Amino acid sequence: MSGTADLLLDVRGLEVDIPVAGGTLHAVRGISLAARRGETLCIVGESGCGKSLTSLALMGLLPPSAKRRAERLSFAGEDLLSASPRRLRALRGDRMAMVFQDPMTCLNPSLTIGDQLTETFLRHGKGNTRAARDRAVTLLERVGIAAAANRLGQYPHQLSGGLRQRVVIAMALMCGPDLVLADEPTTALDATIQLGILQLLAELQREMHMALVLVTHDLGIVARIADRVAVMYAGQVVEEGTVGDVFGAPRHPYTRGLMDCIPQPGRTVPGTRLGTIPGMVPSLVGELRGCSFRGRCPYAMPACAEPIALREGPDGHSWRCVLPAEALARAA
Amino acid sequence: MSPVPPILELRGVHKRYTVGAGLLARRRTLTAVSGVSLRLERSEVLGLVGESGCGKSTLARMILGLEEPSEGEVLLDGRPISRLGRLERGRLVQPVFQDPYSSLNPRRNVAAIIGLPLAVHGVGTAAERRDAVAEMLGLVGLAPRHAEAYPSQLSGGQRQRIAIARALVLRPTLVVCDEPTSALDVSVQSQILNLLLDLRERLGLSYLFISHNLAVVQMLAGRVAAMYLGRIVEEGEAERVLGHPRHPYTAALLASVLTPDPSLGLPEMRLGTAFPNPLSVPPGCAFHPRCPAVFDRCPREAPALLPCPEGGRAACHLIEQPEGGPPPPRLVQAA
Ligand SMILES: Nc1ncnc2c1ncn2[C@@H]1O[C@H](COP(=O)(O)OP(=O)(O)O)[C@@H](O)[C@H]1O
Ligand SMILES: Nc1ncnc2c1ncn2[C@@H]1O[C@H](COP(=O)(O)OP(=O)(O)O)[C@@H](O)[C@H]1O
Ligand SMILES: [Mg+2]
Ligand SMILES: [Mg+2]
Repeated sequence: MSGTADLLLDVRGLEVDIPVAGGTLHAVRGISLAARRGETLCIVGESGCGKSLTSLALMGLLPPSAKRRAERLSFAGEDLLSASPRRLRALRGDRMAMVFQDPMTCLNPSLTIGDQLTETFLRHGKGNTRAARDRAVTLLERVGIAAAANRLGQYPHQLSGGLRQRVVIAMALMCGPDLVLADEPTTALDATIQLGILQLLAELQREMHMALVLVTHDLGIVARIADRVAVMYAGQVVEEGTVGDVFGAPRHPYTRGLMDCIPQPGRTVPGTRLGTIPGMVPSLVGELRGCSFRGRCPYAMPACAEPIALREGPDGHSWRCVLPAEALARAA
Repeated sequence: MSPVPPILELRGVHKRYTVGAGLLARRRTLTAVSGVSLRLERSEVLGLVGESGCGKSTLARMILGLEEPSEGEVLLDGRPISRLGRLERGRLVQPVFQDPYSSLNPRRNVAAIIGLPLAVHGVGTAAERRDAVAEMLGLVGLAPRHAEAYPSQLSGGQRQRIAIARALVLRPTLVVCDEPTSALDVSVQSQILNLLLDLRERLGLSYLFISHNLAVVQMLAGRVAAMYLGRIVEEGEAERVLGHPRHPYTAALLASVLTPDPSLGLPEMRLGTAFPNPLSVPPGCAFHPRCPAVFDRCPREAPALLPCPEGGRAACHLIEQPEGGPPPPRLVQAA
């Protein structure tokens, strides 16, 4: 296990509330996470479970109406809860960088690729124009963009979606960040292009010894790229651990249920029925007590209506469920 | 006795669009579908796979009669689609589209949406139409009370069930499913896939099942066709095509399926990053700029869709190379 020196992002009890028509939407409800240098942490869950708000809360980029609270939110030992907006801006893009699903979130349509890449570098005082240009070309080549020097004068609309996302990744890396947080970076792309981007992120993470936090709804991506995984449901992390432990022996019925829903070539016999998770996610407006999955859970029992304590196994595997640990250990 | 014709037959179907509007832009021809010939037998499920922009939806629209081919012929149940009346056509083929949000009229309730095809064609009395709608709701696993609901009050999965009910109310033989689960979460996707499997068994339906997700396609399809830049590059029994793909493109699509198996890492795949552009289709084999097995013949000569020894057809010069013969000369690939 890596020591505390490698702990980059340390989050305890993160909450995000948003005022909505019927009251307060408790979109993120007490999340704890840790991202270490040299490690890939995946946050996985279905749409609306709070992945993006969690990411934005970590980066200090929440919409103004959203209220963030946490017991602890620190980056490389520095408290982000008390950091000034100016200090946060200095950290973002320099030591921590974010990649969004839509590359145009990060790209300005009216500026050239070259201007946008060098801007971050220059703004953070990393060197002169010459050095910025050299680094931009090196990184564009590194992310697999041919004729990189010629691309500097191009505009975002002249590139395909896959190439734009590569440019955004290069942009995120301009200052050599310690942490990259990528929210569904490949969701809009074809599988072949997605694979190229994931290979790139994994290689860069290893090479530059960064922490990579990858947010996705795709369990296949998680299995192939994560060291650790946090499974989110209705604003909470319901299970967390090494990807081998969580996927190999899931302890939360939601994790188990999600795995059973996925068709797997070579394993799922054609024509057989897939697993399903009946029902719908409960509303997160107002107070929620007990397990938020109990209305859909095949194992629900009276104890599920009470507050659920976090349980822990070896290697930091933790989960929020009252079931005996072996209950879900049936054949995968 | 004449043999039963296939429910769907495509004969050399092309679709060309003129693009480049505006005063200064040069008008150019975009070939979205290029010489596609396919057959779909009754009760069969044909999976159509390929990356976005390869022409899958354009092909679907021509099969549904929503667009006319620029060249070639679409036959439904052995008859040219152009000679079928609207009701006749609607009783043969119906669509289910990807986006259950935009494909349902938000101003109509569920009963009206499902009953619309009957009302439009004046099928049955009002009472018979009500019964048909109630039956359809049951068939797709919705409760009778949902008849009064509006699309905005329903979840994505429920909306897709309504789209399926609307497609089935005229009792078609063929349903064209164009990415029917791509907008849904996996737990909802599995419910819709199970429903499609049930309906096929109960009603003996044929599906043209379009998806970019090969894992989903292998659940349903008996046969699979892979499309690249408007052309079918491989086609055959699903087990063969997905088990032993002969075209490097099909192999690449398969390799990019990420099953949730943490003992496997990210697969190695070195496809060139040359993004396929239907406005400048590469000469010879259109896939050659990205192909890991490209050799000198590929940019010069377009391969024909030929039978493979293992069954099915594939359009690749490698297939014509003798088994165990010398490997074809490799081109040095640009990075
Ligand atoms: N700006 C906002 N105003 C109101 N509700 C929001 C806002 N952003 C997100 N939400 C809601 O918060 C919940 C979590 O959203 P999000 O973090 O985007 O989920 P995910 O990224 O997992 O799909 C959802 O119910 C979403 O509708
Ligand atoms: N009405 C149209 N006019 C011009 N080009 C079109 C039209 N419809 C589709 N295309 C083009 O045809 C190609 C195939 O599109 P489509 O059939 O939607 O692909 P797919 O469904 O496989 O993603 C794309 O390049 C698309 O831009
Ligand atoms: Mg999101
Ligand atoms: Mg399409």
